[in-house]
Amino acid sequence: MKGKLTLIVVLSLLLTIVSATYAQTPQVLSVASTAGVTTWNPASSFSTEALYMANIYETLLMVNPPDAEEAFSPVLATDWSTSEDGLTWTFNLREGVTFHDGAPLTADAVVRSVNLAREIGGAGFIWFPLDTVEAVDDLTVQFNLSYPAPLELIVGSTYGAWIISPNALDAYEADNSYFDAGVASGTGPYMLGEYTPDAEVILMANEAYWGGWNDNQFNIVQVSIVADDVTQEQLLLGGEVDLALRLPPTSYQSLIDNPDFEVFTEATLFNYVGFINVLRPPLDNIAFRQALSYATPYQQIIDVAAEGLATQARGAVPNGVFPYSDDVPQYSYDVDMAKQLLEESGVDPSTVSLRITYAAENAIEETMAPLLKDAWEQALGIEVTIEAILFGQQWAEAKDDPANAQDVFLLLYWPTYSDAGADNLWSMFRSSDAPFFNLSYWANEEFDSLIDEAGILSGTDSDAARDLYTQAQTLMVEEAPSLFFMDVSTWYAVPTYLSGFDYNLNYPFSTFFYPMEVAQ
Amino acid sequence: MSISKLFLGKQSEKLPDNPIPPPSGERTGWQHTLYVIRRDVLAIFSVGWILLMILCALLAPVIAPYPDQGRGRNDADNRLLPPSANNVMGTDELGRDVLSRLIFGAQPAMVASLIVVSVAMLIGVPLGAIAGYYGGWVDELIMRITDLFLAFPSLLLAMAIVSIAGPSLINAVMALVVSWWPWYTRLVRSTTRSLKEEYFIEAARAIGVSDVIIISRHILPNTITPIIVQATIDIGTVILATTSLAFLGLGTQPPNADWGLMIDQGRQFLRQAWWYSLYPGVAIFLTVLAFNLLGDTLRDIFDPRQYR
Amino acid sequence: MKKLEYTLRRLFLSILVLLGMTIITFSLTRVVPSNPAALYLGTRARPEQIEAMTEKLGLNDPLPQQYIRYLGNLLSGDLGDSLATKRPVVTEIVSRLPATGELLIVALIIAIGIGIPLGVFSAQLHGKPADIFVRAFSIIGVSVPQFWLGLLLQLIFGLALEWFPLASRVDSTLRFTSPIQDITGFFIVDTLLTGNWIAFQDVAWHLILPAITLAAYPIGLIARMTRATMLEVMQQNYIRTAEAYGLSYRLIVYVYALKNAIIPTLTVIGLTFAYSLTGAFYVEIIFNWPGLGLFTARSFLNLDFPAIMGVTLFGAFGYIIINLLIDLLQAYIDPRVSLE
Repeated sequence: MKGKLTLIVVLSLLLTIVSATYAQTPQVLSVASTAGVTTWNPASSFSTEALYMANIYETLLMVNPPDAEEAFSPVLATDWSTSEDGLTWTFNLREGVTFHDGAPLTADAVVRSVNLAREIGGAGFIWFPLDTVEAVDDLTVQFNLSYPAPLELIVGSTYGAWIISPNALDAYEADNSYFDAGVASGTGPYMLGEYTPDAEVILMANEAYWGGWNDNQFNIVQVSIVADDVTQEQLLLGGEVDLALRLPPTSYQSLIDNPDFEVFTEATLFNYVGFINVLRPPLDNIAFRQALSYATPYQQIIDVAAEGLATQARGAVPNGVFPYSDDVPQYSYDVDMAKQLLEESGVDPSTVSLRITYAAENAIEETMAPLLKDAWEQALGIEVTIEAILFGQQWAEAKDDPANAQDVFLLLYWPTYSDAGADNLWSMFRSSDAPFFNLSYWANEEFDSLIDEAGILSGTDSDAARDLYTQAQTLMVEEAPSLFFMDVSTWYAVPTYLSGFDYNLNYPFSTFFYPMEVAQ
Repeated sequence: MSISKLFLGKQSEKLPDNPIPPPSGERTGWQHTLYVIRRDVLAIFSVGWILLMILCALLAPVIAPYPDQGRGRNDADNRLLPPSANNVMGTDELGRDVLSRLIFGAQPAMVASLIVVSVAMLIGVPLGAIAGYYGGWVDELIMRITDLFLAFPSLLLAMAIVSIAGPSLINAVMALVVSWWPWYTRLVRSTTRSLKEEYFIEAARAIGVSDVIIISRHILPNTITPIIVQATIDIGTVILATTSLAFLGLGTQPPNADWGLMIDQGRQFLRQAWWYSLYPGVAIFLTVLAFNLLGDTLRDIFDPRQYR
Repeated sequence: MKKLEYTLRRLFLSILVLLGMTIITFSLTRVVPSNPAALYLGTRARPEQIEAMTEKLGLNDPLPQQYIRYLGNLLSGDLGDSLATKRPVVTEIVSRLPATGELLIVALIIAIGIGIPLGVFSAQLHGKPADIFVRAFSIIGVSVPQFWLGLLLQLIFGLALEWFPLASRVDSTLRFTSPIQDITGFFIVDTLLTGNWIAFQDVAWHLILPAITLAAYPIGLIARMTRATMLEVMQQNYIRTAEAYGLSYRLIVYVYALKNAIIPTLTVIGLTFAYSLTGAFYVEIIFNWPGLGLFTARSFLNLDFPAIMGVTLFGAFGYIIINLLIDLLQAYIDPRVSLE
């Protein structure tokens, strides 16, 4: 009896030891991010939750970074074609793809997803050019446009272009709050595991992902929502997280010098502009605005406010985004020119008092504003005050009453999808009755007609469109309704034990976790 | 009682309501005050430091080594330099000399807190006297309103007001006044109520002296000493409050100098430039400490019966 | 009967005060020129969408109507939904209470544990030269700006010495290696209850710096109050009687004197608890502590009205309750307090 008992005990112990050795502990990628979730509805999503959406859902194709060989990569669509007049686009879908809930990817799912986004999406307006979208057969989708537009950029958008499971869409139609608690069903490599609002998002690997898996990838991605970049740095350096997606700009150099990290410096589609209120004298005087443009210390702003991580802007289109062109002029910091233009304008500097407003939450603008104030006061002898306002209020004030609004409005801008002609130029500088983002209140007919024409042309002949946009921008820069400060770069510090990290400026709020692996 | 001791010195013995003989020999009231202070190291320090801060506030452009930078002019080439012969406390992220910014920072600290405390007194003291003297429904009304404002955590109230009105030092001052006056009302009310029963007040009423004169000439002067003690300590507390609000971005705005604001801006450079956040904090600490110590000492002088 | 009357009166008045506060918070949040609908929809919503959402959120209705609706919701326990997280404000507050509560309680324990002995000790030193140091020490506690103290501790113990973690409540990787079971929401308690020693040590280590920062002010207050009342009590006749009877000094001080000095100290403790609510606010910001304070800061920054009103009311409510309890406690325990 005793012998048998001992045998059983020994065997069980052996078994436990053996199984423990072979048991799979999940490979966890621990991430810190500022990305909160405003909604789990992929059709209406229009904010920072894009970080998670980009890993859970997929689009028909992906817009590649500017230095890639091909402009686009096939994702849910394997190939596509367009008609001569640019009004009909046909996409062929990938075979054998299933959603997280098991439903197969069909053209019908695509059609329903696009229509839903069009209807309720925060970014629904990207589909303006679309007339109808229909399923030709199970794996073929046809888009019919009312006017030509660069549809590839639109279907690859980071907002309003996710393909959603038809089962989820059904559930949503029955109950509009279906997604709210934290439900997701896409085709992407990760599924939504757990969501604790304002605290944490856990993504679990989708074993059935069409792209396949290898052993070095991560089964679980744990994202801690940390609003403060100083804290993120503390967590990263303390080894509590593997990746910190927002680090203080001032730590750039120290992380470059740190042998445990590799630092990636990347261009982004974010830029800073400073709208000048063209309705209020003396800012209605073009020569005076040009004087301000020459009195702006561009390099100092880049060095001090952005820690050197930026390049001076040319117009309002960031470098690397359509329709950027090197032919667009830019001002330089030239105090003599500024003084000369001041004289030409006939404005008496001692009577001028300008109010610059900036977003209190934005640390870069907080540093920019005093630099601007100093430079203008010293170069032109005018009086400048700076005012920090929470962005919501800053924007509301600017929209409500242009006559009493600020003189200069500092703004961080980025296009919703990678067409800065249809977005930046149109939103920020096209004339409008009620200002939305045109916070310089500028109205120029020639500019308007140029970009309208260019917009239509961009659907069929992007080079010709680019030329027209460049003409428009040149006119804009000359009239200086705004200051064009800089295109910012971003940087990431990745520990050397991780590989596969890559940044794609077309998906500015997303980091793709699928390609990441433990380095070999 | 105590106020007369302060001003009349030995003569105060002759007043009927002074059962305790003066504690020291031949000194008059003011001499006695100075005597106590001189003997107490901490008191010397606190008075000295406060005078220094007042000096900084008044004469900042003269005292500061780089007055322009104190006001906000940048020197971007010299950012985040450690303490050296040129910059005794180093420079900040826009190259400005931290010591100069510190000296200029004394201005919002001292001026704002003085304004808050004086306006709070101006509102709270009369209200408290009226409430305590008249009693009845007037008292109830005033006390309910006071309770209402006291019930609000002052920080939340200040934050709410400043968020709505827009962040600036002036708005912060107004928000703090709103939070502060109830304390004085309460203080004065309780002292008034006990004073009301005193014989000399009843006597005055009996001969027909008007209420206003009774309150202003007889009651208020006798409530002054606890008010002064409270006010002194409050100046320190308000400095904590204004700098805390500035730290949150709700008080003094850049490019003006403020101790709390400097700590907030220095926080992101904690690793590389510890001096940026350290020295403003020391300034706040020493100043508040000085006012607290002074308040304590004054309390001892005015009423040595009460053990602190 | 008189006590009952007093209690009821105080309760009634507290309710009036609360009502007044709802009016104040409501008016404050409606005055500001900002865009709650835009916050709700995210940064880049189109004008038509914002307009539609504004209508849907009921923001175009006349103010009195909005207020009545708000009050109605309040009475049924509905504080509205946070514009930023879309969840009910009540849920946001309640889910964060344990984190802040844990911080407050540990800080208070530290404050009492250090403050009272310090007060007793300094009372005994009264008049002697060393008295100055102790006096100064307790005043230091109430003079240090809390947000700066936190940074200082981070600098010294976190960065320079690397003894303690700089921020957060718990190491995030612990979730997979030694997850903490959620029983009370208080991590210290939960880890102890489940015998999870690894997590316990981690949680305790994360608590130390923030708790000390938060405790600084109460230590000062409690020490001073204990000292003052001890001194007063020591003068009393019954103490001298005990001395005359030859009872040991220790017994006299720690049992008789302290017992009677406790009552006013309890008041101070209650007040410091209320004060610490605002202190916790700064500490949570500095240490990124996921509690109510951090949520409040975020709400103010985003101008998230329902959340702002919710936390303000909640904070004020807590304040009132604590003050009420203290007053009632005093009325019932301390016969010297008149029931005016």
